Amino acid sequence: MEYAIDAAGSDIAVRCRGLTKTYGAGDASVMALRGIDLDVRCGELLMVVGPSGCGKTTLISVIAGILNQDSGQCEVLGRDLKHMDQRERTRFRGLSIGFVFQLFNLLPALNAVENVSVPLLINGIARKNAEARAEEVLAAVNLGSRLDALPGKLSGGQQQRVAIARALVHEPKLIVCDEPTSNLDHLTGRNMMELLRDIAQSPDRALIVVTHDPRIFEFADRIARMDDGRIVEVVGGNDKEGLQ
Amino acid sequence: MDPAVESTELTINIPDSALARVRSVDGVRSATPLALATADARLPNGRFQSFQLIGVDDATLFGLPPLQDGVSPTVLRTPDAVVVDPGGTDGKLETPISAADQWPYRQPHLDVPTRELAAGDQLLVNDHRVVVRGRGKALPRYPPRPLMYTTLSNASRTLLPERHSLTFVLARAAPSVTPRELAKRIQAQTGLKARSSDDFEADTVNWFLINSEDVGDIASMISIAMLVGFGVTGVMLYMFTTDSLKQYAVLKAMGADSRLLLTMIFVQSGLCALLGTGLGLGMCGIVGQISILEFDFPFRMMWFTPVVGGLMVMLVSILAAAISARPVLKLAPGVVFAGR
Ligand SMILES: Nc1ncnc2c1ncn2[C@@H]1O[C@H](COP(=O)(O)OP(=O)(O)OP(=O)(O)O)[C@@H](O)[C@H]1O
Ligand SMILES: [Mg+2]
Repeated sequence: MEYAIDAAGSDIAVRCRGLTKTYGAGDASVMALRGIDLDVRCGELLMVVGPSGCGKTTLISVIAGILNQDSGQCEVLGRDLKHMDQRERTRFRGLSIGFVFQLFNLLPALNAVENVSVPLLINGIARKNAEARAEEVLAAVNLGSRLDALPGKLSGGQQQRVAIARALVHEPKLIVCDEPTSNLDHLTGRNMMELLRDIAQSPDRALIVVTHDPRIFEFADRIARMDDGRIVEVVGGNDKEGLQ
Repeated sequence: MDPAVESTELTINIPDSALARVRSVDGVRSATPLALATADARLPNGRFQSFQLIGVDDATLFGLPPLQDGVSPTVLRTPDAVVVDPGGTDGKLETPISAADQWPYRQPHLDVPTRELAAGDQLLVNDHRVVVRGRGKALPRYPPRPLMYTTLSNASRTLLPERHSLTFVLARAAPSVTPRELAKRIQAQTGLKARSSDDFEADTVNWFLINSEDVGDIASMISIAMLVGFGVTGVMLYMFTTDSLKQYAVLKAMGADSRLLLTMIFVQSGLCALLGTGLGLGMCGIVGQISILEFDFPFRMMWFTPVVGGLMVMLVSILAAAISARPVLKLAPGVVFAGR
């Protein structure tokens, strides 16, 4: 077992120290994070696993800058999220973070190319250039033949590939995926993880994948196991099979 | 006309000498008298009907509308002749089909089968017999009312004696002067009120807008329609937005700022407004045109109708957009993640 905190400095993409988050107030309050210490290295694929309700989604929401922690420190790509205002944080998300969701969350009225170009358009890139780049990325995820298809006309696996292309298109330094394979069958899920590993993973980019799915553990460089708002262990490399 | 007259609806008579005075004004090419009065006429079956009686100049018959079936206006010069016109009404100018039901001896035959009044039928006006010689093709009146045209001399014989019977003097301008200038001149020289026909038409419209209860009724109808429309469109747009809240959240998570999201909402409602205004005005125009061509109904779209309509639609859509912008702005992007 390794320690969650990595001593090495500069190649750290995400550094969390003593992160806490409580939802609600009074009797109804739920403490979702109870002091998270975690480092995510550049170039690695870190999986976050744990029972339902243990705080996985909350953790990556904080890391991705869409939720404020209550206390503790969270440094993402060298920037302290707590010291950014709303506008800066929005801009930071748009530039530096890619998202893959469980339910794909493609915009149903836009075809594949348009969906993939959305992050570029948000970042102010001209439509023509954005769509050219989107076509490239779609070709890389083997969807070059379905550029004009609406999400409703694509299979689940194809939709998730569009979603991966969308997460990649603006070349973010951090990609967060919340249960990306839970709506896919085993084979499609594996294909999708292979795709993530082959296309998304690169030395200067970190991937965080929240999952319940032990069948895809083999794709992880390290696995952080959470329970009840804490990281209970982080296993790396060869010890993965021991989990669940 | 009398200085106090503001519309064709409420008139007061002027002395006969007014005609000579108007004719003496420089720039008047011709001037003819016109008399307006109301008369209750007895129909052959015993029913009676109120008419607006219009007396036109005996010599020129100026003011008489074209007659149906190509009847010559000169029929009006035969003794006791009148021309009747429905003036926008329906089924009011009727007489019994059977001659036996006309002018019955003992009591009126009120509920017998009838046909439209035609040339040769007789009516009683103030116990004077008048003979229908034709039917007019005048534009429908607002409010609708049957019209009876006759010559001034016939009118003075059938109507009850009044101190003055002349209502309007219709003047025609010489080529050298515009109607409006001439009107000013007549006004200055005679002390009467004078208006060009366009101006008087506008006056009458304004008078109705200000004085007619109908305008207020219609205005309140429209306000209610607008309120309902506002409610419906507002709720619809709100529903659209909340339906796609998740998509807005996805955009927000991916870095779309509030300005972009607001722009999206307002562009959406703006497009709806534009489409709606276009459809509404287009359909209104089509229905109006059909009602003109098919039903002879006097439809007119005035310039302020599309302007005010468009402004109101804009107001409604801006308000609706503002209401539906709220949930989007308050939206926590966290909802994009699994399960919720
Ligand atoms: N918006 C919220 N308001 C109140 N409580 C919340 C909210 N979001 C999450 N929680 C609670 O916080 C705890 C952690 O939730 P979280 O979604 O992070 O868990 P998770 O590990 O992602 O679960 P799952 O595996 O089911 O997705 C849960 O008890 C959950 O009920
Ligand atoms: Mg979750």
